[in-house]
Amino acid sequence: MAGMRGLSVFISDIRNCQNKEAERLRVDKELGNIRTCFKNEKVLTPYKKKKYVWKMLYIHMLGYDVDFGHMEAVSLISAPKFPEKQVGYIVTSCLLNENHDFLRLAINTVRNDIIGRNETFQCLALTLVGNIGGRDFAESLAPDVQKLLISSSCRPLVRKKAALCLLRLFRKNPDAINADGWADRMAQLLDERDLGVLTSSTSLLVALVSNNHEAYSSCLPKCVNILERLARNQDVPQEYTYYGIPSPWLQVKAMRALQYFPTIEDPNTRKSLFEVLQRILMGTDVVKNVNKNNASHAVLFEALSLVMHLDAEKEMMSQCVALLGKFISVREPNIRYLGLENMTRMLMVTDVQDIIKKHQSQIITSLKDPDISIRRRALDLLYGMCDVSNAKDIVEELLQYLSTAEFSMREELSLKAAILAEKFAPDLSWYVDVILQLIDKAGDFVSDDIWFRVVQFVTNNEDLQPYAASKAREYIDKIAIHETMVKVSAYILGEFGHLLARQPGCSASELFSILHEKLPTVSTPTIPILLSTYAKLLMHTQPPDPELQKKIFAVFKKYESCIDVEIQQRAVEYLELSKKGPTFMDVLAEMPKFPERQSSLIKKAEDVEDTADQSAIKLRAQQQPSNALVLAEPQPVNGAPPALKLPSVNGNTEPQSMARALSQPNGNLNNIDPQIPSPDLLSDLLGPLAIEAPPGAEGVPDEVDGSAIVPVGDQTNTVEVIGNNAERFHALCLKDSGVLYEDPYIQIGIKAEWRGHHGRLVLFLGNKSTSPLTSVQALILPPAHLKLELSPVPDTIPPRAQVQSPLEVMNLRPSRDVAVLDFSYKFGANVVSAKLRIPAVLNKFLQPLQLTSEEFFPQWRAISGPPLKLQEVVRGVRPLALPEMANLFNSFRVTICPGLDPNPNNLVASTTFYSESTGAMLCLARIETDPADRTQLRMTVGSGDPTLTFELKEFIKEQLVSIPVGSRALVPAAPPVAQPPSPAALADDPGALLAGLL
Amino acid sequence: MIKAVMMMNTQGKPRLAKFYDFLPVEKQQELIRGVFSVLCSRPENVSNFLEIDSLFGPDSRLVYKHYATLYFVLVFDGSENELAMLDLIQVLVETLDKCFSNVCELDIVFNYSKMHTVLDEIVFGGQVLETSSAEVIRAVEEISKLEAASNAISLVPNSVSGWRGR
Repeated sequence: MAGMRGLSVFISDIRNCQNKEAERLRVDKELGNIRTCFKNEKVLTPYKKKKYVWKMLYIHMLGYDVDFGHMEAVSLISAPKFPEKQVGYIVTSCLLNENHDFLRLAINTVRNDIIGRNETFQCLALTLVGNIGGRDFAESLAPDVQKLLISSSCRPLVRKKAALCLLRLFRKNPDAINADGWADRMAQLLDERDLGVLTSSTSLLVALVSNNHEAYSSCLPKCVNILERLARNQDVPQEYTYYGIPSPWLQVKAMRALQYFPTIEDPNTRKSLFEVLQRILMGTDVVKNVNKNNASHAVLFEALSLVMHLDAEKEMMSQCVALLGKFISVREPNIRYLGLENMTRMLMVTDVQDIIKKHQSQIITSLKDPDISIRRRALDLLYGMCDVSNAKDIVEELLQYLSTAEFSMREELSLKAAILAEKFAPDLSWYVDVILQLIDKAGDFVSDDIWFRVVQFVTNNEDLQPYAASKAREYIDKIAIHETMVKVSAYILGEFGHLLARQPGCSASELFSILHEKLPTVSTPTIPILLSTYAKLLMHTQPPDPELQKKIFAVFKKYESCIDVEIQQRAVEYLELSKKGPTFMDVLAEMPKFPERQSSLIKKAEDVEDTADQSAIKLRAQQQPSNALVLAEPQPVNGAPPALKLPSVNGNTEPQSMARALSQPNGNLNNIDPQIPSPDLLSDLLGPLAIEAPPGAEGVPDEVDGSAIVPVGDQTNTVEVIGNNAERFHALCLKDSGVLYEDPYIQIGIKAEWRGHHGRLVLFLGNKSTSPLTSVQALILPPAHLKLELSPVPDTIPPRAQVQSPLEVMNLRPSRDVAVLDFSYKFGANVVSAKLRIPAVLNKFLQPLQLTSEEFFPQWRAISGPPLKLQEVVRGVRPLALPEMANLFNSFRVTICPGLDPNPNNLVASTTFYSESTGAMLCLARIETDPADRTQLRMTVGSGDPTLTFELKEFIKEQLVSIPVGSRALVPAAPPVAQPPSPAALADDPGALLAGLL
Repeated sequence: MIKAVMMMNTQGKPRLAKFYDFLPVEKQQELIRGVFSVLCSRPENVSNFLEIDSLFGPDSRLVYKHYATLYFVLVFDGSENELAMLDLIQVLVETLDKCFSNVCELDIVFNYSKMHTVLDEIVFGGQVLETSSAEVIRAVEEISKLEAASNAISLVPNSVSGWRGR
């Protein structure tokens, strides 16, 4: 570009900067300079403006934010002279985005340039719109741009830009082009002689066809014509011949467009096309000139894709595979790369897998290519082509490669090896070998999923157990082993170590000492696994070995006071259990078989893979897996699993629930203490155990809560609820956000806002698992006094996703009834359903209100006796100190008004209740407690509405006595004595007055 | 669709960067650095392809060519043919070569504005606009003439080399 000295000087200065700091100083100085100049419009000639704006663009490229001068750049667009206008357009399209406000200001100028006569201006304007034009532009400019494209008077230079500009507008707003009217025009455009215009038009066609191929079917034969013209007739001007190849880009685009049509119906068109394709396939050779090679192979690979798409005859397919086989061994790395990539795609075509397998050794060689890009492609291909027949070879190659592979590839590599081993294992022991080798070689990259899976298989296949145990024994002997190996070995030896008992070095005490050596080297999450293993070893030692017992008890004792709750709990429990004899045996019996389920590994891989249709993982689904690894049938739900013996349900409650809670010594101890969200290592592994728990035991802990109006936990439930629904509900009655329900797959959170008699709740349904939850249903069963509207819940919750579902609540009249959410979903084949109480309870429609004595007493007096004012002596109250009781009242928004009652043992409270029928209504209450017996009190509640008074009184009563069942029995039957009003109260004291009124 | 065109030298200094989807400047710099860090560790005589899903998201591809002290990089999505994109880099370089007769890094540095003009004649809104370098040069020359015509009265030297020689 001719002359812009200032810019060159600036660039030169920047180049001379010794370091980034100096550069920044120079840039800041320049930006300051530009800013000052822009402020002083008078001295700013268009030339200077242009110079400054270029500098801004340069500064922008260097990575500095240029947040001013956008207006100046945009204003240059309307300059009358070319150079200013040009820079205005170029810089605007680099600095601004389509949503920038300034851009809208320029829309008219841009339009004037497009419809004007100046072709250079037209080009500039089209370039801007083509780069950053948004919806606004699409709406106002599409017809003008279409006119330019089909105009016979415009030069190709303008028309080719118009074609791509129209493509941009179409992307921004598909309505910008009306397919009915445009299809014919589009077909005509494909007859264009100018190759520049034709290339652009073909790009436009690709976009249009990908959106709606039916409308543009008339363009299909035209694409074939283009190919014939280029590839067969070589009818191309010299300047469009690139290294002897007739415009490879146009050939590629035409073939790309054809791939968007599902098939080619017309036999003549199909025949012509196959002739051209045949010519391309046969006529391409690897030559010395790199550029020629690239160009000719660009066309060839596109032709291959098209052949695959058209599902050509087998003969042509095998020809393609043969070509690809040649490519993956050529010297030219680009062609090797694409050869492998296309071979992976070719796997989708049936019938050719066997031919591809012939190239297996060459592909394995590519796994050692110096180019990581090629190695990745080779890995993908090997992964895709693996089946039962070659799994052993391929997986062993992958394992070997694992030791030398770069770190960036190891995780992917180990995951793929693990999946292939699982899917195509010729026998189970081989599978165990592979996974243990994998952990040994690349433990850091072996995710928990992988070792969980191996444990599942071993548990479910009895034949495998002794083998796995002896393997684990071998690995544990090694000096430095990965922690994952410690985990898996400990687990397996704990469960099945006793099967080796007769072999040398495998007695329980030997296993213990070798495992215990590892303990100091492992991290906190592994210690609980080791503790479980010790407990199991102890249990399997019959007759008991006092020596071993002493050692293990010492370990448990040591961890009894461990700061980590999981470790501490296990230590305490095992120590306690081991004293219980037969119960100990029951609880620590071998784990039951796992129900069959989709491998979480494969799911994980699906999450990782993203190369859509070409993804080799998709192929996995189509291929027959090996039958070697079939997990045992799940236990029938109502038959207790053989190993997990539960005491009779009729036994006394105390030991039963304890045994139940402890029946999963390695797993979810959450039942015992729902407050601890233990980061349960084994939850994935052990979670489904609950599925096998006999239904008789299901829900026992939940029913502890006597105030549960709705039975929580259904018989059809097949999952273990985490935490206690009733407790959760009660907590949510007093606060506005929290968890309503949780099980291993889903967590339902709730967040609420209350205003007057309206409420807005949002349910957050979060899928915790890595597979979708389907058939999700949420139904509200509203009580008569509430109007509830739940927004529809989607049928499916994607893996690890959270959906929100707002729930509108309106309170019609006072009532203590509770709305219930009937919730169900499917996880795999299991239907899980739960009925959950919605915390839209009476107190949510209360508004705290604190009254002074001047306000309180007239109101109190105005409410005359029943039914507006009710009094009751309540017994069996949870004993609370007075301040605690005051806090309790405040927590459900009944505000304590301190100092109103002269008797320090009494409380006076007020609040406002909102409902549609009552409107805002004042409620008053007085509580008289007996310091001698905290379990009883006298309560007086008053309001302007009899129902409200009654409901509120009952509600407060529930709160005061709402204590877990059982403790109610502990309350001694005390005589109903109300504290007599203090004789010391003075007559003019408002408290005494109050007492008199009562 | 082409997502980005980048030119950077072998020290990682950007010489030209154009993104066809709007990105904030920090993100652009991050991507340029990310691409460079992978490029600079590539040996010679390997393929011109790079897997850069981690930088540009799924289904994105990258081809690059290394000429003397410069990397030319194209990032695009699955709707483009990899080798055709590689050819496009060659067209860009050949065009620059003709524009500057034996292009070198310095030409690119000091003719920053011309670089934009050339690129805009080859890639348009993320699509291939022109593949014939003769056509591109014709269009670029036309623009230069227009600029010269309106600059005739100014006293600025006509070419960069004019002052660089001093």
